[in-house]
Amino acid sequence: MADFMTSTHRAKWIFTPQDLKEKYKAANQRAKQALEKYGSTRVDVNIDGSFSYAEHPNDAKENGDNHSRQKPLKVEEEQLMRAFYEFKIQDVCDAFKFPRKIQATALIYFKRFYLQWSVMEHQPKHIMLTCIYAACKAEENHVSAEELGKGIEQDHQVILNNEMLVLQSLGFDLIVYAPYRALDGFLNDVEEFCGAKEEQLAMLGSLHESAKVEVDKIMRTDAPLLFPPGQLALAALRRSNEACGIFDFERYLKSVLSRQHPTLSNSDLAVFLNAVDSSVNKLETPTSKDVKHIDRKLKSCLDPGSHDKSKKRKHRSKESSNDILDMS
Amino acid sequence: MGDGNTNQSSSRAGNSNSMSGNNNTSGNGNRPEWLQQYDLNGKIGEGTYGLVFLARIKSNRSKSIAIKKFKQSKDGDGVSPTAIREIMLLREINHENVVRLVNVHINHADMSLYLAFDYAEHDLYEIIRHHRDKVNQSINQYTIKSLLWQLLNGLNYLHSNWIVHRDLKPSNILVMGEGEEHGVVKIADFGLARIYQSPLKALSDNGVVVTIWYRAPELLLGAKHYTSAVDMWAVGCIFAELLTLKPLFQGQEVKGTPNPFQLDQLDKIFKVLGHPTQEKWPTLVNLPHWQADVQQIQGRKYDNAGLYSVVHLSPKNPAYDLLSKMLEYDPRKRITAAQALEHEYFRMEPLPGRNALVPPLPGEKVVNYPNRPVDTTTDFEGTISLQPSQPASSGNAVSGGMPGPHVMTTRSVPRPMPMGMPRLQPQGMAAYNLTSQAGMGGGMNPGAMPMQRGVAAQAHQQQQIRRKDPAGMTGYPPQKNSRRF
Repeated sequence: MADFMTSTHRAKWIFTPQDLKEKYKAANQRAKQALEKYGSTRVDVNIDGSFSYAEHPNDAKENGDNHSRQKPLKVEEEQLMRAFYEFKIQDVCDAFKFPRKIQATALIYFKRFYLQWSVMEHQPKHIMLTCIYAACKAEENHVSAEELGKGIEQDHQVILNNEMLVLQSLGFDLIVYAPYRALDGFLNDVEEFCGAKEEQLAMLGSLHESAKVEVDKIMRTDAPLLFPPGQLALAALRRSNEACGIFDFERYLKSVLSRQHPTLSNSDLAVFLNAVDSSVNKLETPTSKDVKHIDRKLKSCLDPGSHDKSKKRKHRSKESSNDILDMS
Repeated sequence: MGDGNTNQSSSRAGNSNSMSGNNNTSGNGNRPEWLQQYDLNGKIGEGTYGLVFLARIKSNRSKSIAIKKFKQSKDGDGVSPTAIREIMLLREINHENVVRLVNVHINHADMSLYLAFDYAEHDLYEIIRHHRDKVNQSINQYTIKSLLWQLLNGLNYLHSNWIVHRDLKPSNILVMGEGEEHGVVKIADFGLARIYQSPLKALSDNGVVVTIWYRAPELLLGAKHYTSAVDMWAVGCIFAELLTLKPLFQGQEVKGTPNPFQLDQLDKIFKVLGHPTQEKWPTLVNLPHWQADVQQIQGRKYDNAGLYSVVHLSPKNPAYDLLSKMLEYDPRKRITAAQALEHEYFRMEPLPGRNALVPPLPGEKVVNYPNRPVDTTTDFEGTISLQPSQPASSGNAVSGGMPGPHVMTTRSVPRPMPMGMPRLQPQGMAAYNLTSQAGMGGGMNPGAMPMQRGVAAQAHQQQQIRRKDPAGMTGYPPQKNSRRF
């Protein structure tokens, strides 16, 4: 839909690596300060649309030492949590057999959301689900929150509670450009470029498939916030071709540039493609075991009360089971 | 409106006690700044999605804003997909002949959305109705041609961006009232129509009509895939209606059918255009309803009454030639918006102009179209659940690059505009009473409609820019006569 050149995607959501670094750092700093000040990092949306940190003054008074046990996440830990949930997005979308486009849209929403917020401010698990939900709506593949929640055994209410926040944080810029379409275009073009015969066509078919898998990986890096979809697609194509060497990529690149971007030099583009390449090579896929420790820290930042409550509950249950009913 | 509401309706009320401490202000003296810049005039439209309001910017009384309120989706499934579709499309769009979304506001209390558009005083439905029922006189040729040209110009832009409107009809084609953009056409209300499950609302006496009259034959025959050609069919119907002041194909709608097949509508079309044949429309035989309903559709016999006699045009008239190309049965042969703009009709006198409502030649009669009726008795009904608290509610307000409740900033290109709204009949309301504050009494809830502060200033800026730059006209056909503008 519409044109990438005039899109909000291009105008507002392509950054420099420095931009990203600063944004991640700023969000992290803000959450850290909130933790010191309020004993919690969770941000609530007030009824008037303003945001505020949830306060836990009681905790602070009653057991101040408890407070000091709360540790904020480091910038790198936030990054790891995001990586974990970005992988989850692909997992969930695969489970629902959603098309790749929806997966990519959800990932881009998720990335954009956490340019503005720290994972300490909004539970990434909830935001992940909400991004998938919103992506389905935007891509005309409506799935009810209930259905989505059921499918992954999560309370669908968290999706509905966060939907407006996510849309708002995205500035309602919901049309995003994934590299898959660009990739399809390049593959068609390559076929022509090679003057492909039957045998080669089959090979190009499998190249296409492996390039899609490369795009899947690229989508979990920062690259979609740094480069336009066409360059991401080219980077994926180069990666998959490197493995099997079906065609002369450099020569193809030259032909593309001379036809479409006479002003852009081969070496300029190579710099971009190398940058995408290196972020894919650095891509981490943390397991839940890897993030267990961080997740515990995250929970105590987001919701410091929950830990105490559950302790108290256990304690009370020894005294009288009836008390549990009063805990609501 | 008390403070208690604030926490009760919060989704995490239990933990979200940060608001309660300082939230003890109330009353009109405490309206948020954004609202104080606006006067609510009243309701100007109503649809299945919600209501449309007219508001004015206090600092610039000539600047009006139409605010379309989308309720939360009925099925308890979050933000209305209709609203999302409309917002996300409009965010990417920028054209003089397409409505511009000025702002999006959120009411977090009931999760409703308010879309703010520049206000357009007229629409083709009202213009046609005025000529038919009030002045009893056809629309002048300059106006028809200018309206059509601008409609096609906007549509060409949409189609070249792969956007199909799917619900073009006279009430969705707005025309700006007096002011800087007087007589400029704005295509509105889009991303809304979903042909396969279009909410065919009953024809009710308040005049809200979702009509099948502009629906292309391939849709009526059940085509699974449609193209931008469906919009061109609708433009053809609108063109004919501008010429004759009567809907061209006024079929009786069968209610409650989930499919788009409407026999009577097809019947009306065939009576004018003759029976479609496989010769003229080769893929006709593949359409589900053509095959399934052999008896009713294929069995009937039609004489070709002749389109030209219905629209009172000579077959040699270029206007007729253009119209018949828009009403081509085969969507693949139907004229495109881009082709239509190049048609001979637009190259002959009178040439189309930017102000469609005022013919450029002195001495020609100018029709004064009535203003849109405003129901001043209605306020932002259904939104009174929220007491806006001052942002400084607590020490832990989140600061920094966070988007506030007013999410949208206008994109840089200056381009004022309006919005589409369903019919609202004048009955029972002070028709032209625009008495500003009537609907703004103490009962109106300010929090319901967050407005961005910058709007007044932006609007002002836009006008200044526009005054300097009489362009926006660059796309118009070659003009022999500079007086046109």
